[in-house]
Amino acid sequence: MAGRAVGAMLICAWMIFAACDSRAQTLNPPAKAKHVLMIFSETRDLPGNAMMEHGVKEELLKESTGPVEFFTENLDARRFPDPKYDQLFKDYLKDKYRQQNLDLAIMFVSRDFQLARQLPAAFRTNLPVIYVVVNDLNDPNPTNDTSFTGIFQRFDIQGTLKFIFNLQPETRRVVVVGGVSASDQAMLGKIVETSRSMDGVDFEFWTNRPMPEVYQAAKSLPAGTVLLLSTVQSDVTGTKYLTTDIANTLAPSASVPVYVMGASLIGSGTLGGNVIDFNELGIEAARLAMRSLNGTPVGDIPIELQSNGVPMADWRALRRWNLKRSRLPGDSVILYQPRSLWEDHKTFIILIAAGLLAQAITIIALLLQRRQSRLAEVEIQRQRTELAHVARVSTMGQLASALTHELNQPLGAILRNTEAAEIFLQSAEPNLKEIRAILADIRKDDQRAGAVIDKMSTLLKRRKLVSERLDLRELAEDTVTLARSDAGDRGVKLVLEMPAHLPSALGDRVHLQQVLLNLIFNGMDAMLTTPRDQRLIVVKVGKTNDGKLQVGVSDRGVGITPDSAAHIFEPFFTTKPNGMGMGLAISGTIIEAHGGTIWAEGNPPGGTTFIFTLPQFEEKDAGDLPAVS
Amino acid sequence: MNNSPPIGPGTVYVVDDDPSFSKSVSRLLGAVGYPVEIFGSAQEFLSRVVPEMRGCVVADLQMPGMDGLELQAALGKTATPLPVIFLTGQGDIPTSVRAMRGGAEDFLMKRAPKEELLGAVERAMERGEQERQQRARLKEMRSRFERLSERELEVLEWVVQGKMNKEIADDLKINLRTVKLHRTNITRKLQVQSVAELTLMASEAGLFKT
Repeated sequence: MAGRAVGAMLICAWMIFAACDSRAQTLNPPAKAKHVLMIFSETRDLPGNAMMEHGVKEELLKESTGPVEFFTENLDARRFPDPKYDQLFKDYLKDKYRQQNLDLAIMFVSRDFQLARQLPAAFRTNLPVIYVVVNDLNDPNPTNDTSFTGIFQRFDIQGTLKFIFNLQPETRRVVVVGGVSASDQAMLGKIVETSRSMDGVDFEFWTNRPMPEVYQAAKSLPAGTVLLLSTVQSDVTGTKYLTTDIANTLAPSASVPVYVMGASLIGSGTLGGNVIDFNELGIEAARLAMRSLNGTPVGDIPIELQSNGVPMADWRALRRWNLKRSRLPGDSVILYQPRSLWEDHKTFIILIAAGLLAQAITIIALLLQRRQSRLAEVEIQRQRTELAHVARVSTMGQLASALTHELNQPLGAILRNTEAAEIFLQSAEPNLKEIRAILADIRKDDQRAGAVIDKMSTLLKRRKLVSERLDLRELAEDTVTLARSDAGDRGVKLVLEMPAHLPSALGDRVHLQQVLLNLIFNGMDAMLTTPRDQRLIVVKVGKTNDGKLQVGVSDRGVGITPDSAAHIFEPFFTTKPNGMGMGLAISGTIIEAHGGTIWAEGNPPGGTTFIFTLPQFEEKDAGDLPAVS
Repeated sequence: MNNSPPIGPGTVYVVDDDPSFSKSVSRLLGAVGYPVEIFGSAQEFLSRVVPEMRGCVVADLQMPGMDGLELQAALGKTATPLPVIFLTGQGDIPTSVRAMRGGAEDFLMKRAPKEELLGAVERAMERGEQERQQRARLKEMRSRFERLSERELEVLEWVVQGKMNKEIADDLKINLRTVKLHRTNITRKLQVQSVAELTLMASEAGLFKT
């Protein structure tokens, strides 16, 4: 119970507090806006002035807790140089701002500071003033005056010259374009002073020429020369100028790059320099203003005297003069660089790129896959040739005994004949007729042995299919002979059945012999468990009803299970413990390449019969069959 | 070695499906003095075998149809089991073992040195002749034994076992005189002079083997 009461009280207290709070907000009058007057000694719309005004407003609005109200005025002293206008302007300001309770004045001065010094007197006597003075006049020391503070910004002559020589180390001549006003002269004086410390570079001061002549002369300056634009408020003829206008006219037509020292002068074709950043200058002024508005007496704020510049260049001008951006200081500001597509459409580009990348990867993957499968095909083809060869060689291994027999037969005959001849020669009257017969036989047996070796090397050679007209009977006989000794060793009876006459076949002798041998050896392998006296292989050569030639090899072995029957012609399928599973696969390939067929059927008395067919040879069949193996 | 023919009354029967080889072997054997006959297959040879044949067989081990081992087996069943020398294009141990077990005189490579072949033939010829003579003697002995009566064979069995006449008479429950008469008849019919000779002869003829 107690807990609930305490809770209710707390809620009540909170509600009352909240009500009071909201009432306090609504009843509190709006904070009084700070009134800041900005006065420009020249027209307000000069680029530098606009930049400074922007900087001030931006910074003050950002930093101020309350509202700030800005007023702006400009004396336009260049175009209205008569001192009477100064007085009029002063009176005007006095009358105009009498009721405005100004909090602060910021004066932007690019000419005689003293002139501007008189202006604030038009207002209330203790109005804090912040000066932003941009020129190289030697101002009187303002240390005693506590009614103002400010920034005295000098042009960065040293920095700009350094900027020039960094960017164009080949520069041998600097043509300085300047004016004749006190401010102009002051700046030129600084440039002269600086130039004295520079060896190996000629400085030329074009101050005694009317501007049009300067423009003209600038069009034919030789390489190795640069133009440095000082300030020109008036030329030798007394004509008033804005340095901005001169930059605008001079730079586009000059034959050499035009360097400047104010950021506001960049954009019309000038190259750049270690320039005054007017926006930054405005921001710095605003910081001083902020301190003043927050109550710090301006007399307590130290006057800042600075001559630092910001390396800044026009990207288009760099391109025009073919100058390397890499030679500029790393922190240089590059203006007018076209925004890249990247900057404008970053997300879009990323999406598209990602899409393209994915697509490319897919395409590459597919291409790789295709290439791989093509390579794999080639590889399979190569392996098949290799395997056919290996299979032949291994068949040769099986046939080693047969070949030994085949060779020993004629070699043995040669030996015996020679021995006999030797004995005949020992007699007093050798039987020359017999010896001649012996020699003839020796020659015959030598040829026979040679033929065996030829046959063997043909079998061993890796080769493609070469079709020819061939007698299947002869081929079967040869093959059966080859297999005979092996069959004898295994106790297998090898029977060859064939008709007396048979049309010629079209095929590759070696490959077909290999197929037949393979079938015979398979048959023998299948009969390992068959009782010795029942081991029989019948090779039957004949013709089919539809005119094809046919060879059958029957064994009395274990037979083929229905499961195996479907796979026997597949590579690597084997039922033999040490089988490679290639024999029938290769046989199948070879027979197919001949345009024939191969199959297996059960043998009525047990075992299996392998049968293959081959086309008959016809006269039009000459040349090679498609390559297999 | 010497090439002088150790000629006996026998012929070398060459059985090989390779005519060229047969011819060369027959030339060599002919040159050293053997009469030679050539047969192209085992069947051809078997069909021509007659009891009067003397000599040996030189056969190829691998032949289509009936091979050398089959020939050997078939020949062994005839009345003229001539010694067989096998020639082979290539020797493999299992086959040679079987051949030798089957009573082969020798097992030679086709390209074996002439001396091996001739030596084998010579041995085979000798063995063939011995076996032939033994077969003849055996046949003759058997014909002698065949003249004995049942009772005489019974008595002979005991005699060969070294029994005394008295023991034989007791065992057969016949008169001692009758035993003596049987023994006289036996020695007369078998043309032997002593019990020792009788025992040897009975053993040779394969009688009373346990």
